[in-house]
Amino acid sequence: MAILTLETATFQERSTSLKRFIVKDAVFKNLTFAAALLVLSILFGVFLSLIIGAWPAFQTFGLEFLTSQSWNPVTEKFGALAPIYGTIVTSLIAMGIAVPVGIGIAIFITELCPPSLRKPIAIAIELLAGIPSIIYGIWGLFVFAPFLQSHVQPAIISLFSGVPFLNDLFAGPPYGIGMFTAGLILAIMVIPFISSISRDVFETTPSVLKESTYALGATTWEVIWNVVLPYSRAGVLGGVMLGLGRALGETMAVTFVIGNAHKIAASIMAPGTTISATIANEFTEAVGDLYTSALIALGFILFVITFIVLAIARYMLSRLEVKTR
Amino acid sequence: MNALTVRATQDMPNTREKVAIRDLSFFYGENKALHNIDLTAYERQVSALIGPSGCGKSTLLRVLNRIYALYPNQRAEGEVWLDGENILDNSQDVNLLRAKVGMVFQKPTPFPMSIYENIAFGVRLYENLNRSEMDERVERALTRAALWDEVKDRLGTSALGLSGGQQQRLCIARTIAVKPEVILLDEPTSALDPISTAKVEQLIDELKRDFTIVIVTHNMQQAARVADRTAFFYLGKLIEEGPTSQMFSNPKDRRTLDYITGRFG
Amino acid sequence: MTMYTRRLTKNRIWLGLSMGAAAFGLLWLVLILGTLIWNGVAGLDVTVFTRMTPPPGGTGGLLNPIIGSLIMTVLAILIGTPVGVLAGTYMAEYGRYARLTFIVRFINDILLSAPSIIVGLFIYEIIVVPMGHFSGFAGAIALAVIVIPVVVRTTEDMLLLVPNTMREAAAALGSPRSFLIQRVIYRAARAGIITGILLAVARISGETAPLLFTALNNQFWNVNLNAPMPSLPVVIFQFALSPYEDWQRLAWTGALIITVAVLSLSILARALTAKGVER
Repeated sequence: MAILTLETATFQERSTSLKRFIVKDAVFKNLTFAAALLVLSILFGVFLSLIIGAWPAFQTFGLEFLTSQSWNPVTEKFGALAPIYGTIVTSLIAMGIAVPVGIGIAIFITELCPPSLRKPIAIAIELLAGIPSIIYGIWGLFVFAPFLQSHVQPAIISLFSGVPFLNDLFAGPPYGIGMFTAGLILAIMVIPFISSISRDVFETTPSVLKESTYALGATTWEVIWNVVLPYSRAGVLGGVMLGLGRALGETMAVTFVIGNAHKIAASIMAPGTTISATIANEFTEAVGDLYTSALIALGFILFVITFIVLAIARYMLSRLEVKTR
Repeated sequence: MNALTVRATQDMPNTREKVAIRDLSFFYGENKALHNIDLTAYERQVSALIGPSGCGKSTLLRVLNRIYALYPNQRAEGEVWLDGENILDNSQDVNLLRAKVGMVFQKPTPFPMSIYENIAFGVRLYENLNRSEMDERVERALTRAALWDEVKDRLGTSALGLSGGQQQRLCIARTIAVKPEVILLDEPTSALDPISTAKVEQLIDELKRDFTIVIVTHNMQQAARVADRTAFFYLGKLIEEGPTSQMFSNPKDRRTLDYITGRFG
Repeated sequence: MTMYTRRLTKNRIWLGLSMGAAAFGLLWLVLILGTLIWNGVAGLDVTVFTRMTPPPGGTGGLLNPIIGSLIMTVLAILIGTPVGVLAGTYMAEYGRYARLTFIVRFINDILLSAPSIIVGLFIYEIIVVPMGHFSGFAGAIALAVIVIPVVVRTTEDMLLLVPNTMREAAAALGSPRSFLIQRVIYRAARAGIITGILLAVARISGETAPLLFTALNNQFWNVNLNAPMPSLPVVIFQFALSPYEDWQRLAWTGALIITVAVLSLSILARALTAKGVER
C-alpha cells in the first residue's frame, strides 16, 4: 500500500493552483450580486418608466383624472373612473365567489377527501391555475357568455325585477358579455390560487391541536371552524389577497368578455371596462401622446393598487413562514 | 522547521506537536461555546474528543479547519498553531488550510456525482493530473479507504447508490485523496451500523500511520479503542486530557469519572 | 340529544357544501378542457403547422405565429434563466443572511404576481419607444422579465433545500466558494432548478398581454427579431375577436395547442419536482 503523504504536493504548488480561482470567485460572486440588484431594479424601473410615461396625463388632468368618467379620444379628455370602477366591481364579484369556493375546496382536500383522491384532485385544481388566461378569454367569449345570455341572465333579471335596488343592480337586457360575466370568469381563474394556498396553510395546523379537539367530541366541521380556520387565518388571508392581486390585474380573460364600454352603469349585467382591458384594447391604436400617456397612467394606477395588495399578501404569508419554521 | 516542532512531552517521548490549541474561545453570536481551551494533537496519533452533547467538542473540531467561517456570527478567539502557523490569523488562506486539514462528517456526505468524480473533485482543485494519473490516484485513495474492491466495477455510477457505510468510507477516501496532513473526524460512525463502524475504526487505525487524526465521538468505547489520547469536555471547558489508558483507568477529575462510568451524558 | 343532532346536521351541511365546492371547481376544468378539445380538434390538421396565417376569410395555418412564439420563448428563457439563477444563488448562498436578500425576496414575490400587462407597458417605454418600432426582441425581453421572478423563486427554494453538510463537505476539501456552488450545489439542486425553468416556459407560452405592444403581431413570415413578430397568443386574440369563421376556428386550434403545451410542461415539471433535491 503506497503512502500518499510521502508525495505531498508542496505548499507552493497548491497555492499557485488555488490562485486560478481568485478571479473566478470574485467574478461569480459579483455576478450573483448584480443579478440580485437587477431584480430590484426591474421593480424600480417599472415604477419609474410608468411615472415618466404617465406624467403628461397627470399634468394635464391632475386629480380629475381619478374622478372623471369621460374617456374621449377625439376631444382628448380622459378620466380613469370608469375603468377603476370596472376593475373593482369585477374583482369583487370574483372574490365573492372564489373565496368561499376556494376555501371549501381546500377543506375538502385536507379534511374530507379519501387519501387516494387527494393528490389527483389537488393537481387537477392546480392545473386550472396553469391554464393561460387567453384560454379563459376565448372560452368565456364563445361558450360561457352565450350560455349566460340565454339561460342565466334572463332568469336573474326577471327574478330581481320587482325588488328595489336589486332590480337596478341586475337590470337587463342580457348582453352575455359585461362586468357580471367578467367577474365570473375571474372567479374561475382565482379559485385555484385561493384553494392551493389555503390547502398549504391548513396542512400546517398541528395535528395535536386537531386531535385534542376531536377528543372532546367535536364534529369535523367544529374542528375546522374552531381550530383549523383560526389557526390558519393569516395564511388564508394572504392567499385571498394574492388571488385579489391576480383578479385586479388580469387582462386577457377580461378583455374578451367585458364589452369595453367606458361608462359606469348601475347594472352589473351591463358592459363596462377594466384598467387592463382598456390598455389591451386601445394601446396600439392610441393616436396622440396624451392618449398614450393616459393609458400608461391607467397602468400606473393599476400597478400601485396591485403592489399594495400583493405586499399585504406577502406580509401575511411571510408571517406564516416564520410560524411554520 | 519551526519553533513548535519536536517538543517532546512527558507522556509521549519523541512525538511532535502537530496542532497546538492555545487559549481558544469560541462564540456563536453572543454565546460563548468554548472557554479558553489549551490542547495539543500529536503527529501520527489519534486524539479523541469526548463529552456529553453540547459540550463543545464538535465546535472545537470545526475550528481546526475553520469550517465555521462559512457562517456569519461565529467567531474564534485565541491561537491554533499548525506546523508553526497560526491558522486563525486573518492572512491564512482557508482553502489551503483545508487542503492540509481534511474533515469527515457525522452523516456521509457524498456529492451527487459518480464515485470516481467524488474522489477527483478535491484533487482537481490542486493538481492538474492527466487521465491515467487521476485513475491511479482514485484507485489508491479508494484502496486506502478499504473500498476499492467493493466499487471498482462501478466507479462511473452515482455515489448516492452506495450504502451508508460505503458512503462514509468514500468520504474518507475523498479526504485522503487530497493528501492532507491532519484528518478531522466528526462522529464518523454515529450514522453507521456496527459492521460498518468496525470497518471504519479499523481504517482509522490504519490511517494514523500517515495522518494526524482528531476524532469527536459520543461513544466512549470507541475512544478507548481507537485513540492514543483523549480529552474530556464539559460545558464548553476542557476538563481533563491525557493518554487514553490513563483517562479511562484513572481519571483525575470527578466529572470525567462520572461521565466515563455513565453517570451522566 | 337534540343539541347533538343539530350539531351533526350542521356538520353534514357544511361538509356537503365543501364537497360541492370541490365539484364546482373541477367542473370548470372539465368544461373548459372539453370545449377546447371539441372546438380545437375540429381544425387540427397538418396545415395548421405548415401554412401561414390566412388573410381574412381565407384558409391557412398558424406556422408563422408558432415559429414567432418559439423564437421569443427561447430567447426569453436564454436571457431570463441566467439572471434568475444567479440572483437566486446570491439569495441562497452568498447573501443568505443579508438584509438585501430579504428585500429582493419581497420584491421578487411581488414581481411574480404583478399584472403582466404592466410588464408590456414597461418594455414599451424602455425598448419600443427608444427603438422607434415594435419588435420580436422587445417581446422576448418582456417575456424574460416574467421568467426572471419564477426562476429566482424556484432557484432560491431549491438551493435552500440542499443540506448545509454538502456545502461543508465541499468546503472541507478546500473548494473555493464559486467552484463549490457550480460543481456541487447546482448539481444537487439540478432537478429543482430545471423545474423552475419549465414552469417559466409554461407561464410565458400563454402570455398575451405583455406581447400586445412589444412584439405586436405580423401577418407574414418573420424571423427577424428587429421587426414586429407574430405569436400564438396574440394571433388567437386577434382571430377570436374577428368576425371571420375561419379565423375563429384557427383561434380555437391555437388555443388547444397552447393549452396542451402548457399542461404537459406543468405535468413534466411536477414529475421532476417529485425527484426534488438529491442528497
